[in-house]
This record gives sequence, C-alpha cells and structure tokens, in this order.
Amino acid sequence: MSVEEQVKDIVAKIAHIDKSIMSREATFKEMKADSLDIVQALVAIEEQFDIEIPDEEAQKFRNFGDFVSYVEQEVAKKG
Amino acid sequence: MSHGTSRVRIAVDAMGGDNAPGEIIHGAVMAARDGATDIILVGQQDVVLKHLAAEGASQDLVKIVHADEVIREGEAPALAIRQKRHSSIVVGTRLLRSGEADAFISAGSSGAVAAAAATYLGMVEGMERPTVGGGFSSFAPNIVVMDLGANVDCKPHQLVSFAIAGTVYARTVYGVQNPTVGILSTGSEEGKGNDLVKSAYPMLQASGLNFIGNIEGNDILMGKANVIVCDGFVGNVLLKFYESIGDRARVWLMGKYPSISRLVGFLFDKVLPIKKLSYEGEEEGSGLLWGIDGVVRIAHGACHAEHILHGINGARKAIEVDLVGNLKREIAHLKEQGKLQQGGLS
Repeated sequence: MSVEEQVKDIVAKIAHIDKSIMSREATFKEMKADSLDIVQALVAIEEQFDIEIPDEEAQKFRNFGDFVSYVEQEVAKKG
Repeated sequence: MSHGTSRVRIAVDAMGGDNAPGEIIHGAVMAARDGATDIILVGQQDVVLKHLAAEGASQDLVKIVHADEVIREGEAPALAIRQKRHSSIVVGTRLLRSGEADAFISAGSSGAVAAAAATYLGMVEGMERPTVGGGFSSFAPNIVVMDLGANVDCKPHQLVSFAIAGTVYARTVYGVQNPTVGILSTGSEEGKGNDLVKSAYPMLQASGLNFIGNIEGNDILMGKANVIVCDGFVGNVLLKFYESIGDRARVWLMGKYPSISRLVGFLFDKVLPIKKLSYEGEEEGSGLLWGIDGVVRIAHGACHAEHILHGINGARKAIEVDLVGNLKREIAHLKEQGKLQQGGLS
C-alpha cells in the first residue's frame, strides 16, 4: 500500500472522514477535520512511519496533499 | 495493575489545577497513606519533593515521575499537547500507554487532558470523542447527563455515543439494568428542537438503546429518563446553572426574611438537600473521561485535596469494575444486533 493510501486510512479512521472526499487539494477544513483530529493524525502517522513532523512544518500544510508529500519525503529519506 | 499484585497504580498530575501543587499533593499523599493504591506524582521533581517534605511524607510513600512543563488554562489544547510533550499532562497520560500506570487523574486544563488522552490512549471503537457526564446530586437520583462540556459542538452520531456511555454509566454506577435514554430538547414531541436534536433523534431510535424520545428541561429532575444526552454547550450551561441554585436560594431567602436567617441557614446547612446541589461525577469533584481506551479522570480546576482523594478512589473503582471493558462490551453487543450502523456509528 502506498504512503498516500496509508496516510489516508489513518486520517479517515481518526477523523471519521469518507475517503472519497480526501483529495490532495482538499483542506482539513473542507474535510471537517478539527484541531484534535489533526493532532491525533500527526501522532499516529509519526508512530506508523517512525518519523517526526515538527509543528513548524505541520503549520505549513495548506491541504491534505502537502501533508502527504511531507510524509512521503520523510519516509523516502529513511530509505 | 502491577505485575504479581492487585494494587492499582494511579498517576496524579501534581501541577494541574488552581490549587496545585499543594492541594493535589496533599490529596495524593492521603491516598498513599490509605494504603490501597500506589501513587505516582507527575510534575517538576524539585517542586514535588518540597511539598512532600512539607507533608512529612517520605520519598518511599510515592513514586515521582519528572515532567518539566506545565500546560496552563487558556492554551489551545491540541496545540499545547504537541508543543509541551514534557508537560505533566502528556507525561502522565503516556504512563498509562506504556503500562507504568493504570489510571491518570488531573485537575489541569480539561481540554488538554482530553486531547492527550484521545491522542495517546485512543478511543474505544465506536466512540469518536471523549465525553464527560455525571449525575445531578440531591433531587434527581439515578440520572446521568452527557455531555457536560467536553464537546461544545457535536455531530448527531456523537450524541448516540454519549447515550451508550450514559447507559453503561447508569447500569454500572446506579445499578439500573435497562436505563431509559432521552434527548434534551425544547419540546417533548418528535420534530421539536434544533437541527442537531432532530438529526440525532432517528439515530437514537435505531440504536437499540432504551430510547424514550425528547426530554424537556423540566423533566430532568423528575427523573423522566436515566440518561439525558445533549451537546456539551447545553450540558455545561445546565450544570453551572444547577450548581448555582442552592447558594443563590440561600442568600435570597436570608435577605428576604432576615428575622429568620438563622433558621434558613440551619435548613440549608442541615436539612434541605438543596445546599448540596452539584455535579456528582461518580465521586464529587471529578469525573471519568468516557470513551477513552483507559481510565482518565478530570477533576475540577478549583478542587481540593479531598476531591483528589475521592478522584483517586473513583479511578481505582473504575478499574476494579472494568468500566472501560463494560463500555466496549455494550458497543460490541449493539453492533452484534446490527443497530449501531443504523445509529450512525460504525
């Protein structure tokens, strides 16, 4: 399963979001994910991929695609 | 529970609350001296040690786990638990996750405690958000209102999850075998209320719970339903209004009839239950955070040592009667009946 699919699964489960609306362009607001959903998802993804997502990076995510790209990049760095 | 013994280990946030750390540590020391529970104080070690010394408590009485930071009231909860990963709230919650403690109690920021618990312990399957509920003491035995403020904005299916938690609460805490469930609204007929109530109504009907329909404000103290669900905004306003009635009635009567003020004082202090109108939780001063996959209790910010002692005892009881397991079993039972999908929960 791709990183994007795994991230999608985690966010969908935590925030109770229908995966069909989770496009890369969708903002968290459009997906109706609130701040607690986002924090829960960040922690779950850090643990799943054994990476760290600094808050200053997380605050730059404009949409779901930015989030996925960052995770993909960190996972690739780990080899 | 610790290996090889049945002793419950309870982590206590030493730094959270208006009267922390003094009152919190005093309550924790009382619990440790009772001898029924192993206490772990979580907070700034030098501060905790100073207060333990003032209590005349030896360092063997409790375990201390150091936490550098403190989350203050007013900080955005979700952000605070990310930015202060070494705070007493986050460190205490993680002790449960690592299996070093069986329960956690904090009088600190309720939002941060709930956020940390949801993030690091996770939710029981079928529960989306932590919820706080409790009974209204004195006039209305055997009722529980959920939510009392943890979720000010709710989705309809969240009210169904509150109803399930409330059902387990009424059954476990009050011994009511088949608790009735009502939804708080502005009229008793179906179709009355705001969009949230109208959307949640058919979900509750389909949930498999003992749903009896809308409950009005004047039905609450009549005990018309054992479990009353509402969003946390309504529940919190209701709770604080209720808590204020006894004191205001006492002051009003003493002012209106000064010649019998001593009699009024006597009646309110010794006879009438109205003086004690307050949110009960299961133990006065704190309540369980329902829906979390672990035992976490939130104490009132202004709590005192006795409330912490009660809260610690309440946490121990929650573990002994397996409240979290009961909630999981109730949800599994409703799922087996195929009801929860109709009730909006997956």
